[in-house]
Amino acid sequence: MLINNTKRLWTRGLIFFVVCILTSWQSHAEPLKVAFVSYANPQQVAKDSDFLAQYLEMKLGMPVKGFVTLDYGSSIEAMRGDQADIAFVDPLAFMMAHEQIGAVPLLLEVYSSGKPSYRSCIWVRKDAGYTELAGLKGKIIAFADQVDMSGHLLPRDLFRREGFLSGNWVEKEFFGEVYFAGGDEQAIRAMLNGFVDAAGVSEYASLLLRPKERDAVKVLAYTMPSPSHLIMARKGVPQQTKDKLKKTLLALDPSIPGDKSILDKLYGVRGFAEAQLSDFEGVAKVAAGFGFVKNPELFAGSEATE
Amino acid sequence: MGIVGLVLVIGPVQAHIIPAEKIHPVAEVYRRVNFILNLNPIVWDQVQVDVDTLAENWKAIDPKSAETFHKNVNEIISAATAELNEEKGIEPLPRSMAAKQVFQNMTRAVSDRCLFHIEMASENIDDREVALKEVREAEGIWNAFYATIEASDPEGHKRLGKTWIKMANALGSTGLLGIGGLPPDRDTFQKEAGILIDYIEANFGKDFHPIKRGKLAPWPSKSPTFNSHAKLPAKLPPGHNINKQIPRPRQILGIAARGVDEGETPLIALGDMAFDSAYIYGEPMRSLQMSCNTCHNKSITNPNFIIPGLSSYPGGMDVSSNFFAPHANNGVFDPLDIPDLRGIRFTAPYGRNGRFGSLREFVRNVIVNEFNGDEPDPMLLDGMIAYMNEFEFLSNPYLKKDGRLNENASKSAKRGEEIFHTEFTQMGNMSCATCHIPSANFIDHKRHDIGTVNGHEAYSMDRTMDTPTLLSSKYSPPYFHDGSQPTLGAVVSWFDKNFKLGLKDDEIEDLTSYVETVGDGIDAYEDTVYYLDAEMEEFNFFLSAYEFLEEKNKPGLMGVTFITIAQEIRNHKWELQDPSVMPVMDKMAEIMDAAYAASQAGDQSEVRHKVAEYRAMYNKNSDVLK
Repeated sequence: MLINNTKRLWTRGLIFFVVCILTSWQSHAEPLKVAFVSYANPQQVAKDSDFLAQYLEMKLGMPVKGFVTLDYGSSIEAMRGDQADIAFVDPLAFMMAHEQIGAVPLLLEVYSSGKPSYRSCIWVRKDAGYTELAGLKGKIIAFADQVDMSGHLLPRDLFRREGFLSGNWVEKEFFGEVYFAGGDEQAIRAMLNGFVDAAGVSEYASLLLRPKERDAVKVLAYTMPSPSHLIMARKGVPQQTKDKLKKTLLALDPSIPGDKSILDKLYGVRGFAEAQLSDFEGVAKVAAGFGFVKNPELFAGSEATE
Repeated sequence: MGIVGLVLVIGPVQAHIIPAEKIHPVAEVYRRVNFILNLNPIVWDQVQVDVDTLAENWKAIDPKSAETFHKNVNEIISAATAELNEEKGIEPLPRSMAAKQVFQNMTRAVSDRCLFHIEMASENIDDREVALKEVREAEGIWNAFYATIEASDPEGHKRLGKTWIKMANALGSTGLLGIGGLPPDRDTFQKEAGILIDYIEANFGKDFHPIKRGKLAPWPSKSPTFNSHAKLPAKLPPGHNINKQIPRPRQILGIAARGVDEGETPLIALGDMAFDSAYIYGEPMRSLQMSCNTCHNKSITNPNFIIPGLSSYPGGMDVSSNFFAPHANNGVFDPLDIPDLRGIRFTAPYGRNGRFGSLREFVRNVIVNEFNGDEPDPMLLDGMIAYMNEFEFLSNPYLKKDGRLNENASKSAKRGEEIFHTEFTQMGNMSCATCHIPSANFIDHKRHDIGTVNGHEAYSMDRTMDTPTLLSSKYSPPYFHDGSQPTLGAVVSWFDKNFKLGLKDDEIEDLTSYVETVGDGIDAYEDTVYYLDAEMEEFNFFLSAYEFLEEKNKPGLMGVTFITIAQEIRNHKWELQDPSVMPVMDKMAEIMDAAYAASQAGDQSEVRHKVAEYRAMYNKNSDVLK
């Protein structure tokens, strides 16, 4: 009995010692640096990123530091300089980051459609009378930004695929004028207000309009689907960390209030899905057509490995 | 911006909640002040807040101009709000003159701000991020004038709308990781900026003077394409909120509670429709899609409701201003607390000051005089009264039939009940229960002056207010006719202080506990945030009045029913949990549009056909319309 008690005390002591060592090691370990991108409200995103960093710290059992960047380029540059381990990016930024610095895809965001993908559209006013893309010949189209997968490359690619443009950058061959309005909302509002005839932006852009305004616009054509925005990791982030992060975020269930509040802070998505390099095969070819991706074959049926 | 930004901005679509319009703070302040300056009376306190905000915002950029602006406008407001004193020769500046002067200063200030940011964009054209930010600032401020230009200079509106896009476009692109960059197009930017600058300076610049034509507004009268006959669409000011509360209050209709087949109560169905309809009113209620249900959501006070210039707090509004019905303006800013209509058949007289003996008179006055509607069909009024007579109080598990507390009530509430029945000499030997008679739904059907109203002069006899019921009151804060008391506890403390009752803290606590217990009820709110299926069922109920209206030959009321259902479907379709079902709702709205058109054309056969088509479609899809 005495021997058993002594043994138990020794065992407890040993466990305590190991826990102390581990805790001490963790508190001195390099934090996982997560770059959150801010679109419109950096203060709110900064506030949310602090909360999310604490949440991830608790779930991953390691220090996590969140910070906010104003665009994808800054997130990628931070990753290039080892200042970011994890970043939230769009498919175009990811493909360029993969090609240039070996970033790997972790999780795709799932939207209200329940899918980890979305499409872009050619939006027109319902009362404008357009029934097909050909009707836009000589008309004015607005895109969101030159460097925007859903707000430019995919919709412009649609016109090329349909045979209205012989190449990707031909401006006056089909359209009367082409403008980059500076954002999805600016582009779709310009169309709604009749400043331009069509807008080539995301299928979700109409949600930026007020409910009554949404009824005044319609989709003239859809583009091919694109994988949704995603979470990517810097090359060299330990597999165990990536797995833990994936497991944590994949477990979030929007029907559970606590999880939903986390998802709301993660850009209001419905959840996440596993991402593969091959998910980007189609859009890589589109991006290559515009010169943003040099080696689209990197994404052809391959898997994310390092 | 991309999809992530979109999802972040929008958030989940929920229960007909329309998010506030995103608007630049300068444009927000300007548009709100513009709205308030058109009201009679003008709530100068609220104007002052916005003037201060604009001056503060401007100070960081141009302190000297901001200070001059602030001083000038403060002087005008002081002159407008000065007390008349004939002895000292002080006469307040007439309202309309003061409004014009403030508006002139505000317009010049806002145009100055807009021009400043265009200039800054131009100066920073080589730094795309900075320049684009400045263009966005300028465009956001331009929004101050947007609605007026759109309405009165549609050609200019389009021309200038395109100008903003061309300016953003001319800034080029920074590309991503060195790819896709485009240099700025300086010439195009300057050319387009010049067009905007000329328009702003000519119409709203340093020489701006409000023109005499209806409402005060930034009319672009110097534009060659200005339409001097244009009218402005009805719009509520920034800061308004007419969204209903979530979770939704649980409405108890007597017929439903008693298990009556709702399909056999056409008069009540007609009343229910009218309660939700903007079309029983005149303008601007119709354009704004406001109905009885906007303020009395499911018959219960909407605590979110606020319209700057007409409200002084959420849950109240001045219903006798010139905005909704100029003919019935009383010239006084006297916002009233929106009453809870539960149990309304028991609570006569009506109106916070009990000015109407019957609910029917009261409702007619609301339609015709408060909200500018045509004289209602007597049958419509019958329907509304029939419907409102079905509003039940919440069941209260703490009360006996005589209104006394039962054994479920807490000890504190029971001690409070004793105080409630105590006669106080300070209250003329009356108790709380003298007016709030427990056995009579806690009211006495009388009006009393308890000291909450300022009379028009020292000894005027215009201070009495209707005794409100305490039943279900826990869920309809704030309290008093002017919403001045945020909680029932505050009400108790107010009585203690104003009548010098000398209650101890624990007595105040007990009395509060009692009043809260009396005001309590079972399941005050619904336990879901998804209401679309219930709404669609209700619209089907509206339509159950059709055969009755046909039999009584009431095409006008049929038309109101159809157009109301069509509009309600369009308002609610964004709540669909499965957006793929939206075409069904669009189709149902279109069927109601067609029924409306047929009813207007007197084609009863087509009306019957459309009603049948709608019902069939609803029956087929009711499971997915949620």
